[in-house]
Amino acid sequence: MNYLSWLFDPANWTGVSGVPAQILAHMAYSLLSLAIAMAIALPLGIYIGVTGRGTMVIAGIANTLRALPSLGVLILAVMLVSLIFTNDLAYEIPAVLVLVMLGIPPILTNTYAGIQATDPLAVDAARGMGYTPEQILWHVQVPCALPLVLSGIRSALLQIISTATIAAVVSLGGLGRFIIDGGATSNYPEMIGGAIVVAAVALVVELLLVGLTVLVVSPGLRRASQRARRRPVEPTTATIAIDLTP
Amino acid sequence: MNIEVLWLQNNLGWIVQLTLSHLYLSVIPILIGLAISLPLGWLAHRFHGFLPVVVAGSSLLYTIPSLAFFVLMPVLIGTKILDPVNVVIALTVYTVALLVRTVADGLDSVPEDAVQAATGMGYNAFQRLVHVQLPVAVPVIGAGLRVAVVSNVSIVAIAVLVGIPQLGSLFLSGLQLRQFLPVVLGIVLCALIALLLDGIIQVSIRRLTPWATRDGAAS
Amino acid sequence: MISLHNVEKRYPDGTIAVHGLSLEAPTGKLTVLVGPSGCGKTTTLRMINRLIPLSSGRIELDGTDTSHLKDVELRRQIGYVIQNAGLFPHRTALDNVAALPILLGAKRRSARAAAMELLERVGLNESHAHRYPWQLSGGQQQRVGVARALATDPPYLLMDEPFSAVDPIMRAQLQDEFLRLQREIGKTIVMVTHDIDEALKLGDQVAVLREGGHLAQLATPQELLERPGNAFVADFLGGGRGFRALQFADSDVSATVHAEQTVLLGEAPAAPGWEVVVDNAGAPLGWTDSRGPIRTEDIDVSGTIAVVNGDLRSLLDAALSSPTGRGLVVDGDGTFLGTVTIQEASDIAARHHRGIAA
Repeated sequence: MNYLSWLFDPANWTGVSGVPAQILAHMAYSLLSLAIAMAIALPLGIYIGVTGRGTMVIAGIANTLRALPSLGVLILAVMLVSLIFTNDLAYEIPAVLVLVMLGIPPILTNTYAGIQATDPLAVDAARGMGYTPEQILWHVQVPCALPLVLSGIRSALLQIISTATIAAVVSLGGLGRFIIDGGATSNYPEMIGGAIVVAAVALVVELLLVGLTVLVVSPGLRRASQRARRRPVEPTTATIAIDLTP
Repeated sequence: MNIEVLWLQNNLGWIVQLTLSHLYLSVIPILIGLAISLPLGWLAHRFHGFLPVVVAGSSLLYTIPSLAFFVLMPVLIGTKILDPVNVVIALTVYTVALLVRTVADGLDSVPEDAVQAATGMGYNAFQRLVHVQLPVAVPVIGAGLRVAVVSNVSIVAIAVLVGIPQLGSLFLSGLQLRQFLPVVLGIVLCALIALLLDGIIQVSIRRLTPWATRDGAAS
Repeated sequence: MISLHNVEKRYPDGTIAVHGLSLEAPTGKLTVLVGPSGCGKTTTLRMINRLIPLSSGRIELDGTDTSHLKDVELRRQIGYVIQNAGLFPHRTALDNVAALPILLGAKRRSARAAAMELLERVGLNESHAHRYPWQLSGGQQQRVGVARALATDPPYLLMDEPFSAVDPIMRAQLQDEFLRLQREIGKTIVMVTHDIDEALKLGDQVAVLREGGHLAQLATPQELLERPGNAFVADFLGGGRGFRALQFADSDVSATVHAEQTVLLGEAPAAPGWEVVVDNAGAPLGWTDSRGPIRTEDIDVSGTIAVVNGDLRSLLDAALSSPTGRGLVVDGDGTFLGTVTIQEASDIAARHHRGIAA
C-alpha cells in the first residue's frame, strides 16, 4: 500500500474539506480556546502568584482534573449539550469548552510559579527603592515570569491542538477529520495523511512559539530560569508538568 | 433505571476485560519507559552537553498529537494497524520523553557534597548511583512518574479511535448508542485507575524515602 | 541628618527586636550599625525606610517626621543597597541603574547617559554596562547596586551588609573604593554590618548594638578602640585594640627620618651591610645585603612601607616588619625618604598615648 498516496494527491489539498481548509479550522478552534484559557488563567495566575493564596487548592484541582480522560469528558460534554442545541453548536460549544479547560492548568500553574520564582532580593530592592506594588508587579515580577508563562502557553496550545484532533470524533472540523473519516472508511492513506499533517502543524507551532520566546524574553533571564529549575524545589506534579518544555 | 442495570449485567464481562486491557496498556509503557529513562537521564546528567539534545528531542516527541502517533506507528515500525503494541510503543515514547528530563533534573538535585563524600569513601560509580544519587532523586523522579502515569491513562482511551479495545470503547459505545451510562462509567473507571496508580506511586515514594517528612519535603 | 527617637519594634508574639533606640546619623557622614546576630541592626535599618513599620517612636529626616510621608514617597528619597545587590535579572546593568529615574519620568536617553556616568564612578566600564546580572561577578553586581541606589541622587543612603557577599580581597577593594566615593559625594549614610573591622574602617561614627536593639556605645572608631564603654563593647571589638587604635593616630616623622644607604636595582652596593633597593623613580623595593649587582631575587620584601605623614600603626608595622628593624618611609609620591627605628616609632606611640591619657 502506498501510504503517502492520499497526502500527495492534489485533489485533497483544494476545496472546503481540503487540507488547507481543515488546517485553518483546526487552528481557529485551537487559538480561540487558547485565547479564552489565557484570559482566565493569566489574571488568576498573577493573582495567586502575588498573594500566595490558593496554591494548594489550585494544585489539587489541577491534579484531579488531569485524572479525567479527555476523550470521555469530550464525549460526555457533547452528549449533554446536544440535549439543548441541535445544530453545529451542539458539538462546537462543548468541544471548545473542554479545550479551554485543558488549556487552563498549564498556563495557570506556570504563571503563578513564574511570579513566585522571581528573585525575592530583586523584589525587596524594588520595594526599598520606592516602587509601588503595581510597579513591582509589572516592571519586575511579570517580566521575570515571562519564560515560564510562555512555556505554559506553549504547553497549553499543544495540548489543545492534540485534543482538537480527537474532537473530530464528535463531528468537530479540523485535521482530525481525515483520521476519523479515514478510519470509518478504512482509507488508511487518508488517516496517514491526516496524521502527518497534524504532526507537522504541531511541530511548526512549537518551533514558532520557541522562536517567539527567544525573541521576547530578556537575555538576562535565560540563565536565571535554568538556575531556578535547578534549585531544589519541592517536587509537585504541577511543577513537573511545567518542565515538559524548555 | 432498569435499562441501565440490565445493560450493566449483560456487559459486565466486557467491562472487566476493557478495564484490564486499559490497566495493562497504561502500566507497561511506564515500566519500560522508566527502564529506558533511568540510563538516558543519567547520561544527560553526567554529560552536560547531552542535556540540550535530550531536552530538544523529548520536547519534539511530546509535541506530536497522540492520535497522530497511534496512526503513524504501523508506518514507522511496521506493525499491524490494530496491534496494541502500537499503543504501548507510542506511550513508552511519551513516557521516556517526559521522564528523561525528570531523571536528569532529579540527579542534578543531589547535593554535590554527598556524591564527593561517597567517592572519597570508595564507592564506585554504580554504587554511588544506587546508594546515594537515586535515593535522593527519588521524590523528583516519582513526581514525574505520577504525571506520566495519569497522563497515560487518559491517552490510552484515545486508542479506541484506532480500534484498540479498552475503556475508551465505552465512550464510543455511549456516543453511538446515545447512552450516558457507558460514558460516565468509563470516565469514573479511568479516573479510579489513574488515582489508584498515582496512589501506588506516592506510597512507593514514601517507602523509598524514609527520611522525608510527612508533607513530602525531602532533605 | 537621620534621627531616631525612641524607636521600638515589637512583634505580636511578644518579641521585642528593638528597645527604644535613639541615635543621630549626622549629615554627610557614614554611621555604621554593628553588632552580633539578633541585635536588631537590620530591623532598625529597615524601619528607616519603613520596609518594617515602627511599633513606636519617631524617625526624622532633617527634622521631618517620616510618619507624615507615604511609604513610596519616603523610599524614593532614600537610596537602598542590599546584600547580593538584588539587581533586576531581566535588565542590563545600565538599565538597572536607569530603572528608577525612568520610572519617575526621566527620558530614556538622558537617564541612560547619567547611568553610564554613575557606573564609571563605581569603577565599571561600558562592557559591563551592557551585561546582564548573571554575567557579572559578585563584586561587579554590588557596584551596580550602589550605582543604582545613587541614580536619583538621594540625600540619604541605607546599606544592609553591602560588602558581605564577596570574598575578602574583593571586599577590601570595594571598601576602599567606597570610602573614596563617599569623600566625593558626601551622602548621609546608615550602614549595617556584622564585621567590626569593616565598621571601624568605614564609619565616621559607629553604633554598637546588643541583643534587643540596645545601644551599647555610639562613638568614633578611634574612641571605641581607645575607650570602650563597657565589657560588651570591649569583647565585641576583640583583641589587639591598642594596636588597632593606632591606625587613627597621625604621625609626623619628617623630623625623625634617617637617611639610608640606597642602591639602584641592577647595580652593586657600594659598601657591605644592609641597603635599601630603589627603582629608577626612587621608590623603595625592599632591603638587600647581597654583594654584586642586585637582582630581583636578592631583594628582601618583608618590610612594609609607611607614608611620612601617615598613621602610627603603619609606621610601627614598617619598623617591626623590616629585616633591619628600621622601617621604610616614603613621601606622598612614593619616593623613598629614609627610615625610622622601632624605638623611635615606639616613642612616638608613647607620646601619643600620653596625649590621650591626659
